[in-house]
Amino acid sequence: MTDTVLEVRNLRKEFRGVVALDDISFELRRHEVVGLIGENGAGKSTLLKVLSGIYKPDGGEILREGKKVTFRTAAESAAAGIGMVHQEQSLVTSISVAENIFLGVEGAGVSAGVYRWGTLRTLAQEQLDKIGSPISPKTKVEHLSFAERQMVELAKALSVEERADSEPVIVLDEPTSVLEGDELEVLFDQIDRLRKFASIVFVSHRLDEVLRVSDRVYVFKDGQCVAVRDRSEVDVDELHRLMVGRESTAEFYHEAKQTAVVDQPVLMQVTGLGKTKAFEDVNFTLRAGEVVGITGVLGSGREELSRVLFGAEGFDQGSITLGGKSIGLRSPVEAVRAGIGYIPAERRIEGIAQGLSVQENIFLADPSTVSAGPFLKPRAAAAAADEWIRKLKIKTPNRGTNISNLSGGNQQKAVLAKWLTSPRLKVLILDHPTRGLDVGAKEDVYGFIRELCARGIGVILLADTLEETIALSHTILVMRDGRVQQTFDAHPGNKPRPVDLVEGMV
Amino acid sequence: MAILTPTRPRQAAASGVTVKDRIIAVFPLLVLIVLVLLVLTQQPNFLSLASVRGLLESMAPILLLAIGQTFVILTGGIDLSFAVVSSLSTVLLALWLPDMGVGALILVPILACLTGVLTGTVVAFAQIPSFIVSLGAMGLWTGVALTLSSASTIRISANYDVIGWVTDMRIAGLPVSALLAILLAILISVAIRVLNRGRALHTMGLAENALLMSGNPTRAYRILAFALCGLFSGLAGVVLASSQYSGGPSLGDTLMLPAIAAVVIGGNAITGGVGGPLKTLVGALIIVVLRVGLNAIGIDPAYEQIIYGAVIIGAVVLTIDRSRLGIVK
Repeated sequence: MTDTVLEVRNLRKEFRGVVALDDISFELRRHEVVGLIGENGAGKSTLLKVLSGIYKPDGGEILREGKKVTFRTAAESAAAGIGMVHQEQSLVTSISVAENIFLGVEGAGVSAGVYRWGTLRTLAQEQLDKIGSPISPKTKVEHLSFAERQMVELAKALSVEERADSEPVIVLDEPTSVLEGDELEVLFDQIDRLRKFASIVFVSHRLDEVLRVSDRVYVFKDGQCVAVRDRSEVDVDELHRLMVGRESTAEFYHEAKQTAVVDQPVLMQVTGLGKTKAFEDVNFTLRAGEVVGITGVLGSGREELSRVLFGAEGFDQGSITLGGKSIGLRSPVEAVRAGIGYIPAERRIEGIAQGLSVQENIFLADPSTVSAGPFLKPRAAAAAADEWIRKLKIKTPNRGTNISNLSGGNQQKAVLAKWLTSPRLKVLILDHPTRGLDVGAKEDVYGFIRELCARGIGVILLADTLEETIALSHTILVMRDGRVQQTFDAHPGNKPRPVDLVEGMV
Repeated sequence: MAILTPTRPRQAAASGVTVKDRIIAVFPLLVLIVLVLLVLTQQPNFLSLASVRGLLESMAPILLLAIGQTFVILTGGIDLSFAVVSSLSTVLLALWLPDMGVGALILVPILACLTGVLTGTVVAFAQIPSFIVSLGAMGLWTGVALTLSSASTIRISANYDVIGWVTDMRIAGLPVSALLAILLAILISVAIRVLNRGRALHTMGLAENALLMSGNPTRAYRILAFALCGLFSGLAGVVLASSQYSGGPSLGDTLMLPAIAAVVIGGNAITGGVGGPLKTLVGALIIVVLRVGLNAIGIDPAYEQIIYGAVIIGAVVLTIDRSRLGIVK
C-alpha cells in the first residue's frame, strides 16, 4: 500500500486552442481531505472531468495507488474506485433512491433484465448506512430536500467502493452551494466520517468551508496550480489573494471612483410608466453618469421594467423621454437607434452571438465606427477589435476566435464592448451583468461601469445582490408587486444598508 | 485559462477551427473533383467545350434556385415553395410576353420576389415555422399556376427573343445563363464580405436572439431572405421558360430536390449560420456532374430523384453540428 491514493502528473487539456489545464500536478494521500479552489475558468471542473473519464487529457498521466491508469469512460473511472458527487445534481427525480444509487450498475440488483427489488434495496441500504443516513431506499427522489439529495449523491458515489479493489476516492464538486446552516453541518459530519475509510477531494468556492474540512488546499488559477498550502499555514484572506491574484481588501466595487451626479443633465425621464399585469406608475430620472439600481424579488416587476426600457416588451401607460424627446420604444431596434443598450441576463442566448467571432460580436450592435457607408473597413475593424480586447482585458487567442470558446467573464466583456463601441450610446441597461462570473471578472465589470459613468453614460442596473446594488448605484428604486415602494439616495457617503432595502422588498 | 497574448496574426490558425471543420470546408470540392475524374474515366471527352456547355446549361436554373434557397437556409429556415414559384413564373412569362414584351421580363421576377415577401412576412410576424408556411405557399402557387395555365403548357407565341438570348447567347462558347448565375453567386459572396451587415443572415441562423437584442431588425432580415429566394426563383423561371420556349405549371417542380441537394452538399449547414453562395455553386456543380455521371454509367434517369433524396440526407448526416441541436423532432 502506497501512501498516495491518487496522483496526477503534468496534466494538460486544451479546448480549441484555449488552454484549460496547463501542466497540473496534484496528489491525494490516504484518508486525506484535499480542498481545491479557484475562480470560474481556473480549471477545477476540467480536472474533475478528466478524473471522472469525461474528458481525455492532451498530456500527462494519472496514477491510482501508484499504477498508471487511463479512463476512457465514466464507468472506467468508477471501476477504479473514484466516486463523483456532481455540482449539478445528477439524480433522476422520478425514481427511487435505491434505483438512483445503482443506476446503470445494478449488478446483483437486476437479474434477467428485471429488478430484484429486495436485493437492490438491501444494497442501497448498505450504501446509505455508510454515511449513517436515515433516508429510506424506497423513497422517490422528488420527495427529498436538496440536502437529502446531496446525501443520496454521496451514497451513490460511495458505491464505487464495492466495485473497486481499493479504498474509494470521493470527489465533491461544489457540494455546499445548495446547502445551508444545519444541512452544511450534516455534510461536514459525513466528510469526517468518510475520511476514516476514504480519501476526499473537496471543491468549493466558499473558502472558509474549504479551510474547515481540508488538510491541504490546492489553489488553481488560469489553468495552473499556483499554490499548495497546509491548513495550519494559511487563512481565508491569503487563499483569496492566491486565487484572485490581488489583495482581497482592494476596492472591489471601485467605490472611490463613484462621483456625484446631482448637477448633471437629465438623460432619461420615465413618467407614470405601466404595463398591465407587470408594473404600474413607475417614475424616475436618470442623469448623465448616474447609476439607478432597481431591486426587488422575483415578481416585483423589475425584470419586465428593464425589458420595456429596451423595447423588448411594450408598455401601455406613461411615457419615456430620452434627451428631452419622447420615445415610443416599440422594439429593440428603436431603443438602439435612440441610444439605449442592453446587457441581458441570458448571456449565452441574448448576449453573445454564438458561432460568430469575438470581433463580429463587438460590432454586432453598431458597426458605424468601422464602416464607410454600408461597407466594412476591415483593417479599421481589426484594429478596433484588438483595441477593445486589450482595453477590456478579454482573454482570447485572437479576435477571430469563436466567442463560444471563451469563458463566461470574457464573453460578458465582449458584450460590454459591443455597446461601448457605439458612439450613440446614452443609456445602458445592465440586467444581472455579473451573473455567473468569477470574482476577478466581476471586479473588472464594476470598473467598467465606473468608466461608463465617467463618460456620461446613464446606467440602469438590476444587480445580483443587494451589496452590488448599493455599492454601484447613486439612486435605488425598491420594487414590490409592480410598484416602486421606496426610493433611496445612495450617493457616495450616503449608502443605505441592505436591511433598509429589504424592508421595502417584502 | 492560461494567459494568452492576444492577436498575433500568425496565431489566426488557432482560432478554434477544428480539423473536422476544415475537412467539412473542403469536402464538397474534393467530392466534385473525384466525381469529375470518375466521369472522365467513362467519358474521356467529358471536359470538351460541347459537353461543358450542356452541363452548364442544365445547371443554370438549379444554381439560381439553389442560391435563392441558400439565403433562407442560412437563416435556419427553408422555403419549400421556391421551385413552384419558378414554375408559376414560366406560366406568367408565357402569358404576358406576347403583349408586354420586356415589361413581363421585369414584372415576373418582381412578382416572384413578392411571393417570398409574403411567405417571409407570415413566418416573421405569425412566428410559424417556415417549413409549414412555405408548404402552404407551395400548394397555393401550384394552384394559381394551374388555374392561369388551364393546366397545360403554354407556348410563347410572340416576343420570345426578349428572353431567348438567355439560352442562345454564348460567351467564349459558354451559355450566358450559367455565366450570369455564377456571376451573381460571386457578387453576393463579395457583398457578404464587404458589407458591414453582410453576415446578418448568417447571424440570424446562429444567434437570432442576440442579433435582436443588439438592436437589429431581425424580422426584416427574415423577410429579406425569403424575398431574395423568391426573386431568384423568378430568375430561374426566366431561364426555364427561355430554354423550353414555353411556360408550364410544373416546369420547375422537379428541380426542388436537386436545388436543395445542391445547397446542402455544397456545405451550407441545414441548421443555418454557415455557408454562402460559393458553397452552393460547388454543390450545384456536383449535382449536375452527378447527373451526367449517372447517365454515363447507364443508370435510368428515373432513379435521379432517389439519388438526390439520398444526397440530401447523406450530406446533412455528414455535416450537421449535433452539439448545437437539442432534441430533434
